[in-house]
Order: sequence, then C-alpha cells, then structure tokens
Amino acid sequence: MDPQTQLLQLLFAGVSTGSIYGIIAVGFNVIFKSTGAINFTQGEWVMIGGMLSAFFFVSFDSPIWVACAAAVLCIGVLGVLSERFVIEPLRNPSPVTLTLVTIGLAIVTKSGVMLTLGKNPAGYPGFSGETPIMIAGASLHPQTVWIIVVAALFMLAVHFFFERTLTGKAMRAAAADREVAVLMGVRVRHATMMAFAIAALAGGVAGAIITPLTFTSYDHGTVLGFKGFSAAMLGGVGNLYGAMVGGLLLGILESLAGGYISSQFKDAVAFMVLLGILFFRPTGLFGHKEIEKV
Amino acid sequence: MRTKFTINRWAAAAVMALGLAAPAQAAEPLKIGSILSVTGPAAFLGEDMKAGMEIALDEINEAGGIGGRPVEWVFYDAESQTAKGITATRRLISQDEVDILVGGGNMSGIALAMVPLTESAGLPFISTEGSMKIVNPVEERRWTFKSTVDDDQVIHRLADYFEKQGITKVALLSDTSGFGQSAVEQMEKVGPERGLDVVYEAFNPADTDMTGQLTRIKSSGAQAIICWTVTPAGVVFLKQAQQLGMDDLTLVHSYGFVSQRYMELAGDAASKLLLVSVKFPVGDQLPADDPTREQILSLQQKFQEKFGRAPSQFAAQTYDAIHLAAKALEAGGDDAEAVRAAIPAVQGWGGVGGTFTFSEKRHSGLSKEDLVLVNWKDGRFHLADYK
Repeated sequence: MDPQTQLLQLLFAGVSTGSIYGIIAVGFNVIFKSTGAINFTQGEWVMIGGMLSAFFFVSFDSPIWVACAAAVLCIGVLGVLSERFVIEPLRNPSPVTLTLVTIGLAIVTKSGVMLTLGKNPAGYPGFSGETPIMIAGASLHPQTVWIIVVAALFMLAVHFFFERTLTGKAMRAAAADREVAVLMGVRVRHATMMAFAIAALAGGVAGAIITPLTFTSYDHGTVLGFKGFSAAMLGGVGNLYGAMVGGLLLGILESLAGGYISSQFKDAVAFMVLLGILFFRPTGLFGHKEIEKV
Repeated sequence: MRTKFTINRWAAAAVMALGLAAPAQAAEPLKIGSILSVTGPAAFLGEDMKAGMEIALDEINEAGGIGGRPVEWVFYDAESQTAKGITATRRLISQDEVDILVGGGNMSGIALAMVPLTESAGLPFISTEGSMKIVNPVEERRWTFKSTVDDDQVIHRLADYFEKQGITKVALLSDTSGFGQSAVEQMEKVGPERGLDVVYEAFNPADTDMTGQLTRIKSSGAQAIICWTVTPAGVVFLKQAQQLGMDDLTLVHSYGFVSQRYMELAGDAASKLLLVSVKFPVGDQLPADDPTREQILSLQQKFQEKFGRAPSQFAAQTYDAIHLAAKALEAGGDDAEAVRAAIPAVQGWGGVGGTFTFSEKRHSGLSKEDLVLVNWKDGRFHLADYK
C-alpha cells in the first residue's frame, strides 16, 4: 500500500469515528450548558441506540432505516423519562449531585439493557450494503459515508434548533442566566427536559449509525462515553461547534497514531494530546474563560 | 515468615475444628468451590461454563459421590471483576473451606490474581481459563493446574498448518488484554523456533476501527493474519479486512473466537476464515477413531437435554475440570497435599477437551494434538484441518 493511499485510508477511518465522537460530545455539551453537570449516561444512550436498532431489525424484520429511526425516537423518549423521573424530582440540585445521579442512571440503564436485550453482541448490515467504494486506491465503507452525512445533518439540525426556534433560544437564555430567564417567563424546568431529550437523541443517532461498523453489546457504552467526553473537553466544554471539531480531531489523531506510530499506543497518543491541550488551554480549543464579576 | 506462621496456625485451627466435627456425620461431603463470571462482559462465556460444571457435578453425585461422600458445590459470581474474584477466593479459602477450587472467573486476569491466594493457602486450583501464566513458572505454581490448552501449543498447531501451506510470513493482531498479550509472548518464543517471520500489531478490545493496523499489515507483506481476541472487535477485524481487500490472505482467529454469534455477526466476512479450536464444535465430523469423539457427542447430548440448547466448547473446559477435580479428590480426600499430588499423576485421561496428560513440569493437560482448524459454512463449524 503506497503512502498516499495509506494516509487516505487512515483519514477515512479517523473522520468516521471522529464524527461519532463529535455527536456524542454534542450530547455532553447540551446537558452541560443547561445544568452544569457532566452526564455519564451519554455513552449508555449510544449503546442502546445500537442495541435497540438491532432488536427492532431482527424482531420485526423491518427495513434498517425504520428500525434505526424507531430506536432513536425511543431513546429520545427515554431521555425525557430519565429527566422527569430522576433529575426533575431533585429540587435545585448542584451540578455535582446531578453528575453523581447520572452515574447511577448509567448503571441502571446498562443493567436494564443486559436484562432485557441480553448479553450477546448485536449488529446489523449497513444502510446501503457492504460493498466498499474505492477512492484513489483507498476503500470506503458505504456506512462511513452515511455516518459523515448524518453527523453533518445532525449538527445542522442542532444549530438551527438553538439559533432559530423559540424553544432553542429559551434554552440558551436559561443556560446563560437561569434567574433572569425565569423572570422573563422562560420555563427553565422545561429547558432541562429538552436538553436531556436532545442529548439522548444525539446518543441514539450515534449508536444507530455506527453499529453496522463496530457492533455493540450492553457494556460498550462506557468507553464511547469517555471518548465523547474527551472530544467535548478537547473542543471546549459547552461549545457545540467545538464538540464536532474536537470529535473529528480526536478520531483522526487516534487513527493516525494507530497507523503511523504504534497500535499499542493508539489510545495513549490521543489522550496525551488531550492532556497537553488541557494543560496549555484548559478551556479547550474553542472554549472561553468564564469571567465571574463580583 | 510471619504471615506463613499465622496461616499455619489458622490451618491448624481449621483442621482441629474439622476433626471435632467429623464424627457427627459419617459421610461428610467433599467441597468443590467455583468462581465464574455469569454477569459482566465475560458473562457470555460464563453461562455455558457454569452449565458444564452443573452437568459434571450431577453425574458425580448421581453415581454416589466420591468414595461414598457427596460433593457439595459452592459457587460465586465474579461479575467479570478481578476484585470480586479475589473476595470470592478469600471466602472459599477461609469461610467455606473448600477442598479444591475449580474455575477462575472465566477471565485470565481474574484467575491470575487468584493464584497467589490459592498458592499461599495451599489449596489445589484447577483453572478453566486460557492464559499460560496461570500455571507458569511451574515452580511458583505448585498448587495450580488448568484444563485448557496452552497458547504455545496453539501457536505450534498453527505453525504446523502454515508449514503445510508454505506460509512463512505472518502477522499477529492481538488485543491488549491479558489474553492477547499472552499470545504475543508465546509467538515471540515459538515463531523464530518454527521459522516464522512475524509482524506484531495490537488493538484495544473496545476499538471500533482497525484501519491503521490493517494498512500496516498490508504494507508488511504478511501472507496470513492471526487475530487474537475474545471481544466483538474481532468481527470489526474481519469486516475491515474484507473491505480493504485483504481477505485473499489466510485469516485466522484464535480459539477465543469460536462462537456462532460472532460468525453470524461477521456474515459474509467470515466465509474464508479459519479458526484454531478444540475438537468440540466439530465433534460429529471427527474420524471414528478419534479418542474424544464419543465424549464430545455424549456431553453435547446431555447439555441439550438439560438446558434445551447446544453447548459451546467452553462448557467442555469446565466439565473436564470438575471431573479432574473429582479424580483428585477421590485419590486425596481431605488431604490437600494428596489431592494436589493426584493431578500430575493423571496420564492420558480422555476428557471432552482432549487427552489430558499432566506432569510436575507441565500443569496444563492438553497439547496441540487436541486442536484442529475449523471454518464456518452454512450456519455451523466444519472441520478444515485435522492433524
């Protein structure tokens, strides 16, 4: 394999996993902005996205895209239910409490999937087959194209939601200043619920589109969650565009490190860069310093 | 020295307590302790392994126990966590006071962590896990034996096959777990010995992409790739190798990947795959004079009757281990030293996994003679290379 082809091949792989990290990071950021908490259930939602899609695909013999769409919707509902039954009853919780609660929620989610959908790994075919597309000698799985397209569409949708819709603007207002938002008539509790719904949808989408490539099982969520969290940190926590860029960067870094340096240190290289960024730019690549006026 | 003294005192106290209790019951049961992971990531192995043990224990007790004494079984779930495995080991040693321990959490990492405890307590331990390090170096593993094939034997078996096919340059793509790293260590020894030129690549079990590793292997000019993992990442390997047009190489998976579920997930990408395996999955295709054929068919039938599904080969590992433990207990009874000594005395015992021969130098009973190469076609495993 000549050097250009190898580079192209590694970039394809990096962009595809990076897009997934990016979507997951968006989930982290939406909840962080709205509650100040790090949501550890995020990775589990990705896992359920894949597990439920596989379940619908196998049990109801439905077309893949129907199975995936149904699964993503279910996870959106699950996000809302989680917020209503677990987060909402905590009156005015601190971000630390919320973060701890989401760890519990993650364990419950994971166990729930293990007990209902089983311990076996699951998967399903790609949306448009398995025949690779050849570009300049490098091969591209059709699902990779889907991943990149869906990730881009998802980002556009999230952008549109926060910039153009009233609910989105209200959520931004609530995130910027809770008390003033309340005074202006924004239903802040609603905003938290919406944030959970969007984050869960992000998880579901990521899980549904990546599972044809990687397969999933009930214990797959944690690692993806950590990678998505790292991507969010890299881009700057709370920054939606930073999330996508952070995700892509992390994915490409991992892929190049695996291809050129050593597969043994693939994860290590990615995390070293992350540590470096945190040392020298603690707010991430695109984060702004929070200034508190006294 | 101090700890040893304390342990001896405890042991003495335990012996006295047993001595006092003994006359009350004529047929005091013999106790077998077991630790497997029936929850957590390794659970997919643990369930069949536990079932294999249950069948063996039922057989022993239905036949009147061991020397007229019933067998009592104490089972703990290690939940795929080393810490839980260690806690359970301590309980089996100090509270349950079992006579022999069978099964090390069905993860090599757990079994490895248990060994120092059982060694210092002087408790015979038959591990049902893969890693060679569990029973090596043998001088430090006086009390530890295992019912699985050693990795060096697996690699020798593969080298035999490569020799036949004229393959001299291979890539070993192993995961970063203890299971994968053990293969690397053995390949580093066996590879040069057998004239194999080996390229090493690794991946994390949670990896979702192996393009980097595969492109490097492609550039290296290897004729065969041996993938060494028990995780779904092994399916990613198959799919991506196919995607990169590398399926014209000889693709091999280790015995850890012989699973119907994985083959179904890999689908078309598994069509050219070879797997090095114990004989269990292809029992009915073995030649009639094969020593394990009848044993395999009989266990498969019993398993089907009792649990209503077909067993995986992992059930055979634990089934054999319990029968080995019973043999040792029959010879040694309550005397731990005698129980231990009975295991290396086992020579040419026909189990389901193969023909077991232990010695003081070799604490693994099986050898490369007990391995075959299989492939996956039409929804089942087929014998691809016998001897």
